[in-house]
Amino acid sequence: MAKLRLDTEEGAAAVIASGKFMSRVGHEKKALRMPPPGAKDLTDGQIELLRQWVNTGAEWKSHWSFTAPAKKDPSSVKSTWGNNAIDRFVLARLEKEGLKPSPRADRATLLRRVTFDLTGLPPTIEEQKAFLSDTSANAYEKVVDRLLASPKYGERMAMPWLDLARYADTHGFHIDSNRDMWPWRDWVVSAFNRNMPYDQFTVWQMAGDLLKNPTREQLLASGFNRNHMINFEGGAIPEEYHVEYVVDRVETTANAFMGMTMGCARCHDHKYDPIRQKEFYEFFSFFNTVNEKGLDGSIGNAQPFLALPDKLQEGRLTRIESRISELEAWLDQRDVPTLREAWEQNKPQFPAAPVADESGAKAASIRIRQSARLDSVEATLIDHPQYKLWIDGGVAIGRNRRGSYLFLKKGDDIYRTQEYIITGPWQHIALNFESEPQLWVDRKPLKLNRIQLRELPELFKRGTQADLQFFSRPLTEKEIHILGVDEPARKALEIAQEKRAADQKIMLLEYFFANGTTDNVRSVYRELTNLYDQRKELRDEIPTTMVMSEMAIPRETKILARGDYRNGTDVVTPNVPSFLPPLKKDTPRTRLGLAQWLTSGDHPLYSRVAVNRFWQMYFGTGLVKTVEDFGNQGELPSHPELLDWLAVEFRESGWDIKALQKKIVMSSTYQQESKIAPALLERDPENRLLARGPRFRFPAEIIRDNALAVSGLLNEKMGGPGVFPYQPKGVWEDIAYGDTFSSQVYQQSHGDALYRRSMYTYWKRTAPPPALATFDAPDREKCIARRSLTNTPLQALVLMNDPTYVEAARALATRMMKEGGSDPIGWAFQNALARKPEARERTVLLKQWNNQWNVYKNYPEGARQLLSNGESAIPKDLDQPRLAAWTTVASVILNLDETVTKE
Amino acid sequence: MSMRKNFELAMTRRDLFSRTAGGLGFAALNALATPVGKTHFAPKAKNVIFLHQSGGPSQQDLFDWKPNIADKRGLELPDSIRRGQRITGMTSGQSSLPVAPTIFKFAQHGQSGAWVSELMPHTAKIVDELTIVKTVHTDAINHDPAITFIQTGSQQPGRPSLGSWVSYGLGSENQNLPGFVVLLSQASGLNIDQPLFSRLWSAGFLPSNYQGIKFRSSGDPVLYLSDVPGIDRETRRRMLDSLSSLNGMRSEMFGDPEIETRISQYEMAYRMQTSVPELMDLSQESESTFDLYGPDSRKPGSYASHCLLARRLVERGVRFVQLYKRGWDQHGELPRDLRLQSQATDQASAALVMDLKQRGLLDDTLVIWGGEFGRTTYCQGTLTDSNYGRDHHPRCFTMWFAGGGMKRGTVIGETDDFSYNIVEDPIHVHDIQATILHCLGVDHKKLTYRFQGRDFRLTDVHGNVMKKMLA
Repeated sequence: MAKLRLDTEEGAAAVIASGKFMSRVGHEKKALRMPPPGAKDLTDGQIELLRQWVNTGAEWKSHWSFTAPAKKDPSSVKSTWGNNAIDRFVLARLEKEGLKPSPRADRATLLRRVTFDLTGLPPTIEEQKAFLSDTSANAYEKVVDRLLASPKYGERMAMPWLDLARYADTHGFHIDSNRDMWPWRDWVVSAFNRNMPYDQFTVWQMAGDLLKNPTREQLLASGFNRNHMINFEGGAIPEEYHVEYVVDRVETTANAFMGMTMGCARCHDHKYDPIRQKEFYEFFSFFNTVNEKGLDGSIGNAQPFLALPDKLQEGRLTRIESRISELEAWLDQRDVPTLREAWEQNKPQFPAAPVADESGAKAASIRIRQSARLDSVEATLIDHPQYKLWIDGGVAIGRNRRGSYLFLKKGDDIYRTQEYIITGPWQHIALNFESEPQLWVDRKPLKLNRIQLRELPELFKRGTQADLQFFSRPLTEKEIHILGVDEPARKALEIAQEKRAADQKIMLLEYFFANGTTDNVRSVYRELTNLYDQRKELRDEIPTTMVMSEMAIPRETKILARGDYRNGTDVVTPNVPSFLPPLKKDTPRTRLGLAQWLTSGDHPLYSRVAVNRFWQMYFGTGLVKTVEDFGNQGELPSHPELLDWLAVEFRESGWDIKALQKKIVMSSTYQQESKIAPALLERDPENRLLARGPRFRFPAEIIRDNALAVSGLLNEKMGGPGVFPYQPKGVWEDIAYGDTFSSQVYQQSHGDALYRRSMYTYWKRTAPPPALATFDAPDREKCIARRSLTNTPLQALVLMNDPTYVEAARALATRMMKEGGSDPIGWAFQNALARKPEARERTVLLKQWNNQWNVYKNYPEGARQLLSNGESAIPKDLDQPRLAAWTTVASVILNLDETVTKE
Repeated sequence: MSMRKNFELAMTRRDLFSRTAGGLGFAALNALATPVGKTHFAPKAKNVIFLHQSGGPSQQDLFDWKPNIADKRGLELPDSIRRGQRITGMTSGQSSLPVAPTIFKFAQHGQSGAWVSELMPHTAKIVDELTIVKTVHTDAINHDPAITFIQTGSQQPGRPSLGSWVSYGLGSENQNLPGFVVLLSQASGLNIDQPLFSRLWSAGFLPSNYQGIKFRSSGDPVLYLSDVPGIDRETRRRMLDSLSSLNGMRSEMFGDPEIETRISQYEMAYRMQTSVPELMDLSQESESTFDLYGPDSRKPGSYASHCLLARRLVERGVRFVQLYKRGWDQHGELPRDLRLQSQATDQASAALVMDLKQRGLLDDTLVIWGGEFGRTTYCQGTLTDSNYGRDHHPRCFTMWFAGGGMKRGTVIGETDDFSYNIVEDPIHVHDIQATILHCLGVDHKKLTYRFQGRDFRLTDVHGNVMKKMLA
């Protein structure tokens, strides 16, 4: 049996024809059956199925999803139910199963459902009124069109795309510091809103950088393939992580665009997996020639990245640069070298410097220079019986601003500069420590904070110090200037010109400009240095985003035995797996060619996978439940003809994403009510047959956004860097790496940044936003095509006690009192649930209010405490105990199953 | 419709990833505390306490005594030992790899005669309870991949953690507490390395309710556990009654079993609001218990207090307790920081084993001590008579085990004179994982989960149960 092949048509045919197949698979003695007894035993039913298949001719077909979809008309149906083709496919299946579709949901429920599905937010009371009073036949369609045109549509559509693209605001590995990919995230929102065709959306993200003369937007879009985790752990080996980045791109591309798992073939061939190891590395090689480093990211974005100045910044940069050239040209005409030489020959006078005297030292002066790499510098600069000054390297919070702290130890007290200092050039440090220590860096006084800290080891690496002097009395600012500016110049002049170091020459030139020229030259020089500073600041402030770009000389790709970066074997070149259509002759063997291959129209997976994932968004489950696995281990589609019809329709529409969404939400299938009759629940608990509308808990982001929206707190601002809403103390800090790298200390936002939509919450991969994670939001380390959907007590705790929801309850209560008129409960239901309360519901909540009112009117302190949650202003014009009682009512409403559920 | 019925239906409905093998993993997706699952064979241990020493404790300064290199200080590590094996980017550029013999004294202890360094006097006293394995080895040489590997079976992110697998496979015995609890203690040395990652206790591709729940020593013990000021217990009860009555009405109308589940989850949350603070409150512990664990055990957040909490957790049926002690990454100043780390942990680790034993819990509880890798015999940075540092070393390191079906009073494995290569009984991290599951009555090859078309397991396609370690 060793040569037996069941995974090829010829092999299987031979074994079946010989009769050996059924005799072994169906052997009457279980112990002799194939496959051998163990975890993968066939059931009797499965054996019977195989027997039937063999008896009816053993027709060989390739796996369903590897042949291109074809549009077939739905089978004829008896009922007239339905709005569009989708419904005829669904109905055909229902009739086959002897089931009937559910009635259409009532209009209010429908409005709420479709508004959440297309914008992620609830319908306002005005929108409800408008829809309910619109008696025209196409009232619902008008709503759909309005929602598709809303900018919030793009945000809603982006949410699952960010999971797929493993979008995050930190690098993920090890220290997990900041990156800036939010310009890419904003691009996704905007692309959905502009209804960019799905093929273009794909090509730009896969290969925007390889398009002819790519626009800034096309380059930006290519950041899709840079969203993977990046490492710069101290001892890590660059080649090892470089391979991981490329593998991640392969896995993400395969999952997002082909619903395939390629990662399994990384190490070796698997018998039942259509992808061979060689093919994995051929695919890998498409992504292996990026101009990137294996270890990168310690100070923000890893190369390659793209600067994104806005119009204002671009204008300022141009203005600064043109003024700089103007002034430089002016200076050129002045023959500065001759003037400078004359100044030196003239023997300039220097002010007298204070005299160093170490006895009973009370002040010090020192010059330091730091080398460029500062990841782990801990340098003792001054060591003296009474005090110690040292430096601890690090990276400032924020982008591209690297710096170091200076630490000072005096007696048992340790102080640290409040700000980072810049590193690189020589800097003069002066120190007075007679009483409270004072510190100047390049004449600028720096604020010192006393801190709780371990003592650092005495170590001086990657830096230089010079001119250390002690003084027996505190220094004045003027003396500090002399020590920091005049003295170095005086000493440099004493050195023969040809022996001066390069930086001494520059320093002397600067000194000459400041002290030895005419007023005219001096002022031009001052303006110029000022402009240089401005230019640097501006460049630091311009955001960047990581993008793809190809190496000038492409890296060779080898098959890696056992997937290990150390075990390169045969060289391979870019190609696609053989079970899928081949690349055309004239298709370039690049990512662009790969993207064209995906989007060319005859790819069997690309369109199916996309429509299936959209379907999942509406119904909770895809037509193929395993949205990430269309391979032979994945599930079969519940409605194969419908899936294919949608796939072809999507392609034929010119990959019109909005049109596809509209088709789905206009279907009667989507518009069914979601009540579940016990018999149907028994029959179809997962609603795979679609005999009812979808009913399931909202994704994490929508739960929070809804609470913000109905309470009136929501800030609808779109885009920009991530924001930092309320988060319990310590979630980051408990696991972080001190505070010398970015994104280690959670600095909560204030003001309206607290109320942004949840998709803008800063996403730190090693400590994802806890309240969102509790509702199954992923950590974004890897590509995720479907989230789990759990129902846990921790979720109850979030909705009861997270300040976000307590504050939202108070804000909702405020609106109930102010806008609810004589019927606050009715108003709250209308606002939060888009319906009127039933009498019995009203009774429960009125009782809740009464009970709490009785509590709080006798306990105003309790009311005050409850209302003081959250940073938004507490209304002064409302009675606090009343408001507090309504807050408990509002909190109950925000905790309702219905509130967090799409019905 | 009865609650029980609803529960089953809810399970069916949410069983998004249904095909699991071997009768395990049927635990419902709707709770933190899931019903007790079936094991593959009779378990020795019911609970696990994993005392992870993050950073990589130095085996040859603690357990793996190497007297034959005592006189080789400063000599170059022989090529016959190094064998061209890869080393990290931190020492690969070093011009020399000088041998740094330990400066700590070792002595033999107990019936087993295990060698233990002077840094671990309390552990030394309990060696007859321990299975000391000197020959654990791993595939990774840096923290992120190595700790991810020992905690999830894979160097790269995305897989469920050990505790999640156990929680998924076996569920919890306590309906009011999560089945998988995480406790974090900060470093005690002056060097605070390394960072940790939530992926280490994440459920990976398992449903997210199998992830570890952090129990914290400051702020809320479980995130969002406490009612906010102004909401007292009666108020909370009233709010929950209102909520549950409204949810009940919706349930009648919609028939969706998820609603009944949500009602019961709110009730469990309400119970957790009492059970968790009660658990975290050490004030009822006796003086003698505090004496046993040491004075640090009174300090919230300390490793010692977490060891004591770990005992309280397993007493209450929490299946898997994962501790992390940060600060074992001694690249420099090893003598100073290793001493501080040992002082902060030794007594409490030993106390936990003895406390469990006294209470008759040790037979049911597997205690595990160890880091993600060991440290090099050669010095990183400057070597002096009294000071040295050590880089990461994946080829051998020491872990110890107690209780839960492990063989007591045993030392397993032998390394070469430099504690660099394994000479006898190599035990891979996947073997450790397979053996841990075995103690719990779980066949590591059968605890699988279908994801992206493949049946994944903790040990990937590797791992052997180490019979030598078992009683």
